[in-house]
Amino acid sequence: MRRMGSLTAELSDLSVAIEDVARDSGLDFFDVSFELLDARDVNAIASYGGFPVRYPSWRFGMEYERLEKGYRFGLSKIYELVINNDPTYAYLVSSNSLMEQKLVMAHVFGHADFFKHNVWFQPTERQMVDVMASHGTRMRRYVDAFGQDCVERFLDLALALDTLIDPYLPVRHLRGGAPVEGREDHLSRAKRSLDRACSSPVERRLAPVGRAPAPAPGGPTFDVLGFLAEGADLDEWQRDVLRMVRAEAHYFAPQRMTKIMNEGWASFWHSRILTRGVLEVEEIVDFADCHSGATATAPGQLNPYKLGIDLFRYAEEKGMDLFELRALHNDVSFIDAVVDEEFAERSRLFVYARNSRTGRTEVVPRDWREIKEELLRSLSWGGLPRIELADVDHDGRGELLLRHHFDGRELQLDQAGELLVQLASLWGRPVHLLTREEGGGRRLTADGGEVRLVEVPGGGETIDRGEGLRAG
Amino acid sequence: MFRIERDRARFREIVRGKLRQDLRKYLSSTELIGRRGDKAVSIPIPQVELPRFRFGDNSERGVGQGEGEGGQPVDGDAGEGGGAGGAGDQEGKHILEVDVDLADLAEMLGDELELPDIQPRGDRLLSSEGGRYSGIRQAGPRSLRHFRRTYRNALKRTIASGAWDSAEPRVVPVRDDERFRWRRNCPRPESSAVIFHIMDVSGSMGREQKDVVRIKAFWIDTWLRSQYQNLEVVYVVHDAVAKIVDQQTFFHLRESGGTKISSAYELCLDLIRERYRPEEWNIYPFHYSDGDNWSARDTERCVGILRDEILPRVNQFCYGQVKSAYGSGQFKKDLDSSLVDEERLVTAAVDDREGIPDAVRAFLGSGR
Repeated sequence: MRRMGSLTAELSDLSVAIEDVARDSGLDFFDVSFELLDARDVNAIASYGGFPVRYPSWRFGMEYERLEKGYRFGLSKIYELVINNDPTYAYLVSSNSLMEQKLVMAHVFGHADFFKHNVWFQPTERQMVDVMASHGTRMRRYVDAFGQDCVERFLDLALALDTLIDPYLPVRHLRGGAPVEGREDHLSRAKRSLDRACSSPVERRLAPVGRAPAPAPGGPTFDVLGFLAEGADLDEWQRDVLRMVRAEAHYFAPQRMTKIMNEGWASFWHSRILTRGVLEVEEIVDFADCHSGATATAPGQLNPYKLGIDLFRYAEEKGMDLFELRALHNDVSFIDAVVDEEFAERSRLFVYARNSRTGRTEVVPRDWREIKEELLRSLSWGGLPRIELADVDHDGRGELLLRHHFDGRELQLDQAGELLVQLASLWGRPVHLLTREEGGGRRLTADGGEVRLVEVPGGGETIDRGEGLRAG
Repeated sequence: MFRIERDRARFREIVRGKLRQDLRKYLSSTELIGRRGDKAVSIPIPQVELPRFRFGDNSERGVGQGEGEGGQPVDGDAGEGGGAGGAGDQEGKHILEVDVDLADLAEMLGDELELPDIQPRGDRLLSSEGGRYSGIRQAGPRSLRHFRRTYRNALKRTIASGAWDSAEPRVVPVRDDERFRWRRNCPRPESSAVIFHIMDVSGSMGREQKDVVRIKAFWIDTWLRSQYQNLEVVYVVHDAVAKIVDQQTFFHLRESGGTKISSAYELCLDLIRERYRPEEWNIYPFHYSDGDNWSARDTERCVGILRDEILPRVNQFCYGQVKSAYGSGQFKKDLDSSLVDEERLVTAAVDDREGIPDAVRAFLGSGR
């Protein structure tokens, strides 16, 4: 895929020079392959989550519409895209100035180092470009065999469920030494794809299901998608779609869990590398302007670039080993390890909350423990609701029971209900969700296209204070 | 990037489907007003997103970074932060705005209300200046040089002058051989139309009545815009006197006092005589009122102007009567009874927003 001459000679020389400085500074990464594209193409690739070879879906078209509009009206602009892969792919926007390209390249080497060394990325698929291409081919084949509407409907449902994975599962497998799902050597992967290519989708559908559905899991699991892929009564192609979506969700999950660290690490290094002789004197002011634009804060929003770089600089000042930090943590554990009273004070962190008296969202008087706790809570589980599959044979009737681990934040029940209806149609039996609303327990049940909401006395079983969220 | 264009097209198809489904709702709501540009309407589409397990907004707590004492609000105008960004993994807002071509919207409206296309009238085809590079000249900019013509001339000259050598066929154009493309004007038939939106803004027309007028005007504009290449819209308001206003004023002005409808009809007639001659324009006056006129005498005058002056000159005159708490609705009865045989007059009564689609269909269903 490395296209020769995709960088201008000048940029190519620069990338070599910057790579040297990066390696001298202690960064280590897979080969980085840069490509220079115009803004429109970068928007298109970004719409596919970084993979131009991905399967077709209207949702990518919607994302493209959004990005294009933002770009056209000057509201937002993508400077760069980096893909966690070996080699690491990075896309530069041709309209960037030379100074911006230097900044972006240095930033990219920071991300590339993070991808290679952070523990949460260890189990990720490093040949994801190939895997995505294979997913695309399979999905297109299913469309040809079963029709666009049919495949699209099922894919939409699968994508709606793609947060229902256990993001810690791959790392647990890795630590336990057990083979990690979805990873196999090149030889067996090649054989499998050859086998696939030799049988048409229809034949495969009619053939007896090769892999028997896994038995219901022994205990509760967060891996709802995995359970459905193996345990629900589905066609083989539908299982395959669920498996593909699950594999992609596992690939993207570490990026969600390390957003602050990853951006902070890349910003920390672009700033350091550029001021180590890469910038010309006359570029310094523009650089400062661009850098401070990227790390600007706005009220009521947390800028991961800013918080991340603050954290790494503070950790360095305190004599911590930065390279070890970037290898061992995710956002939650990193913040837990670094944030103390002095940091909260210095980087001006605060908690905001809705004041029911004034009806406005206001700054809460600053208390660093509260700040830390709120920060950890908002980032835990990748910032998503924790939904667990508690029972697959609820009341002995083969119904699914989901449990929302309540941490104070309520779900949008109308959307949850809609999703449950779809889930019930996939499962073939009613599906329940336990959650809380206005201080009381609730049970949401989808049964035959209808949703019922009932109060559950107590509901205490859904309360979840999270693990290790206590500051101090 | 060919692939993304296919996904985008699919997305737009889905949006159009949603819109078609919800068109009735939009037909009687103010949601689309003010969202129209020259070529497209930006339409807020709820629920294109997939349903997911998402946090609601019950706590509205979070962590921020920056200055501020306890109690200071942070929801002032929170803008986007810096410009840089990686791969977009953020959830989008739930309401998405999508641009829909006016032509598409008009087509949906046409389908929904079963509106016939307006038959073009031959005598009102205007020619407009369009240009094509179909001419040839001897002088011009280098970038427009017509290579084939130039070469042919050079070849002719070379052969004629006896310098042609088939063993070494060399042709060198000189200044006189050169020919250049030239833009030539060619007349293109074009049809033009003008809409007069005339509204009674006397004291009895309230906010709700004006909203009904706004919505109706929006859909009428949308439809007629799809039927004519060139459409002008004139806004007229009247109480006891009539005046021309801009769109903004038209929709927000609140006057009080009496009503003399004839003043508006006279102004309309003046405009037709002076600026929008029927030989060149397709003319569509729309008059909206709650049906109270100052006096029976003035109503008689209105009927006279309509019958003798306006109706012969326009494609169609539409009177839409909006029900209000104070209006008697007498004017519509008077028009209907005095001008029974005039097929170019269409009257419709609108009780509330729900009645808008029927009124629009009554106005535009004739295909005139």
